[in-house]
This record gives sequence, structure tokens and C-alpha cells, in this order.
Amino acid sequence: MCGLAHYFESEGLSTVLVGFVREHIEAIKPPRSLFLDFPMGRSMGKPNDPVFQKKVIREAFGLLGTDSGPVISDFSEVIPVKDGRMGYALPPELVLSVEDIGDVNAVLAEVKAEMAALRLDYEAAVAARGRTTVGASGLEIEELAPFVAGFLNGEIPQSPRRGMPAIPLLKLVVEDLEAYFTETRTHRDSIDDLELMGKWFWEESKTGRMLLLLEAVSIASDNKVMLQIVEMSLMAPRFWSEGPLPGTSAAGW
Amino acid sequence: MFRLQRRSWRFIVGQHRVPFLRRRCDLTKISEMPAVARGFISNLDLPVVYDPSWTQPVPANKRRISIVSTAAVHRRGDKPFSWLAKDFRAFDKTDRDLVMTHVAVEFDRSAWQQDLNTIIPLERLKEMADDGEIGSVAEEHYSFMGAADPVTMEKSARQAAARMKQDGVNTVFLIPI
Repeated sequence: MCGLAHYFESEGLSTVLVGFVREHIEAIKPPRSLFLDFPMGRSMGKPNDPVFQKKVIREAFGLLGTDSGPVISDFSEVIPVKDGRMGYALPPELVLSVEDIGDVNAVLAEVKAEMAALRLDYEAAVAARGRTTVGASGLEIEELAPFVAGFLNGEIPQSPRRGMPAIPLLKLVVEDLEAYFTETRTHRDSIDDLELMGKWFWEESKTGRMLLLLEAVSIASDNKVMLQIVEMSLMAPRFWSEGPLPGTSAAGW
Repeated sequence: MFRLQRRSWRFIVGQHRVPFLRRRCDLTKISEMPAVARGFISNLDLPVVYDPSWTQPVPANKRRISIVSTAAVHRRGDKPFSWLAKDFRAFDKTDRDLVMTHVAVEFDRSAWQQDLNTIIPLERLKEMADDGEIGSVAEEHYSFMGAADPVTMEKSARQAAARMKQDGVNTVFLIPI
């Protein structure tokens, strides 16, 4: 992001950015920067809070009034993060193994039932918001869980999406599954709590458990890309954990 | 002449760390992050800028603003971003049916699911334009893959800049995820 600012500036466009890692801003020196001490994924601070969002924008745009730079300023408010982590993290000890899989059909049946029970609330959320972020994979909601279950047998299933291999598609399917759950719950229960959402989906739901089983399959896989997505925390949220996933070295980082 | 090159982040920290303004001592710091994230972020090869440009901003009421996000969002049906994509996607100021195909999972998705303005504040900018706080909102806005190396993005960044200038944009609001 900081690097992009320099390209645009050299094209005769004035830039202002907001950013989460102050040390990076200090090192790359974009012309005008507002440091945000917020959890990542919340650049304007708070959803459905136009006053707060506009405060962020106004403080950022205020930097366009400076005559020289680079200039970096700290936003006037902090949204606390938990234990120095800027997003939800799975507990390091919550790790499943391939021995925990058991009957794949039974795992899938549980997940399907769980998702079906949320369907009306999901549709209510979509209707209320007028949009959904589910659909990055391009698969129908009913296709998501069966596609993941196909990996639990230790094989790489064929991708149903033309032009996209199965493993990159798998990542988007995982995104869609989580979005289906969190879009539903944030609307149904009128809550905005990223820690609670992460805990509910990844630690308590049947679908989260299926994904931890998928993680176990990935660790045991001979496929380099499957291993990479767990080594680099590209599927389950372990980036902010205290230590790498057991069985991996986090060498990808 | 302006150049952007890579250099080891640890070297930069040792040699060139510059606190531009006095900072509060309680801010979130890399050194206090949990182990995996700390290791990754502190070992990133960051670009180093030689002879940076400075474009003098126009007055607030003349600003035509385009958002550049690194959230890897795009219109539903557009090609998903690859994991280290160098290219960008454009979307219109009225587009709301966006999906995210970012490779990283370390940031919260639940906020933008609730309100697009949490990461791409198109409605806030429109309100500010309607109130005369800014000049106008650009027709097009842009998204890149934030996980990719910015040094590889020069060509696409300049392509986006060309489109912005055709639209009369003079100010870019860069927003990470």
C-alpha cells in the first residue's frame, strides 16, 4: 500500500493513505499517512458508524493540507486489539488429526444440517443489507460443504469451476463458508465482535470442525500446495497465534 | 529519478528508522505481536524509495477522489485475484455487489460483511461531496492484492493512474485491509 502511493504520486496524483503497521509506514515513507491502531479489516474503524468513519476520513484528508512531507500522523482514537494480535486467532492447542475424521459422510451430514438451520437467518441478513459477500468461490451454497468433504478422503477432487484449480478454489470455498456463518450471526444477533465470531465459527461450529479436519489432511498431504496453505496460515486463522501449527515449521513465513 | 526497490526490512530498521512525528508509547508495535505474525512482518522485504515524488494537493473543494484498496475485492463474476496478483480490478462508484478473494486470512472479514464502508467508504465520500467537503467522487475505484510485492505492481499501478487521470481524478485515497 505504501509503495503504491509513490507510484501514484509520481503520476501527478496526490495521495493520502491509512495504515495499520506504523513501522512499515516509517520505512517506506509515503507522502501522507494516517496510522490506525485498529484491528485489521476495519480501516474505517466501525461498521455502520458513519460518524466514526467520517472522522477517520477527515483526519486522513487533513494531511492533504500539509506543504511538505513525508508526514505521518496517528489517528486520535484507538480501537483496542487483543494481546497484540490484530485479528482473531485459533488457540494453538486446538488442532485435530486425520484420525479424528471418522466417517466423512457423517461429518458432511452434520455440516449440512447446521448450515440448513441457518439458512432463513442468512437470507434475512442478505435482504436487510441488500448484499452478500458469499460467492467468492462461484459455487452455490449447497455445493460448499460437499466440496470440502471431498478433500477429507485424502484426495484432491476435481474443480467444478472452469479455469480455477481445486486448491485455490478450496480457499475461496472456506471464505464463503465462514462468510455464510458470520453474515448470518452478525445480523441475526445484532453483534459486531470479531473475536466472538471467530470463536463461534472456528471453535464451536460443526463447519469449523470440518475445516480443522481439512487442516489435518493438509498437514498430512503429499501435495506441496496443500501443505503451503497450512504452513502459511492461508486457510485457518493462525497468523496471530503464539507459535506455529504443530506439525509445521511455519517455514513458509 | 523515482525508483522503488526491495531491501531487507531489518536493514531498514537498523539504519533508517525515522519517527516523523512524536508517537504515543502505547501503540501496537511489531515487537509486541504474537510469534507467527511478528516473525512474518518483521522479515518482510520492504521496498525502498529513491527520489520520491511529491504532488501538491489541490484545494479540498477541487478534489476528485478515487479509492485504491488492497483488499482484493472485485465485482462478483470478475476474475478472482491470484495469490500474488500484480494486476488490479476496477469497480464503479455505485457497485455494491463485491466479493473478496484475498489470499491472507489474518484480517477480520465480519466488518465489511456488515458494511462495505468499513473498508471502501463510497457512501461517506458521496456525503462529503454532497456537503461540499470534497469536490467529487470518481466514477471508478480500484483494488489490488495486498499480499503481493508492490515492486511488481508498478505497471498496473500506472495503468490505474492513467484511467484515473482520464476521469479527472487528482487525489487518491489508499486504504489497506
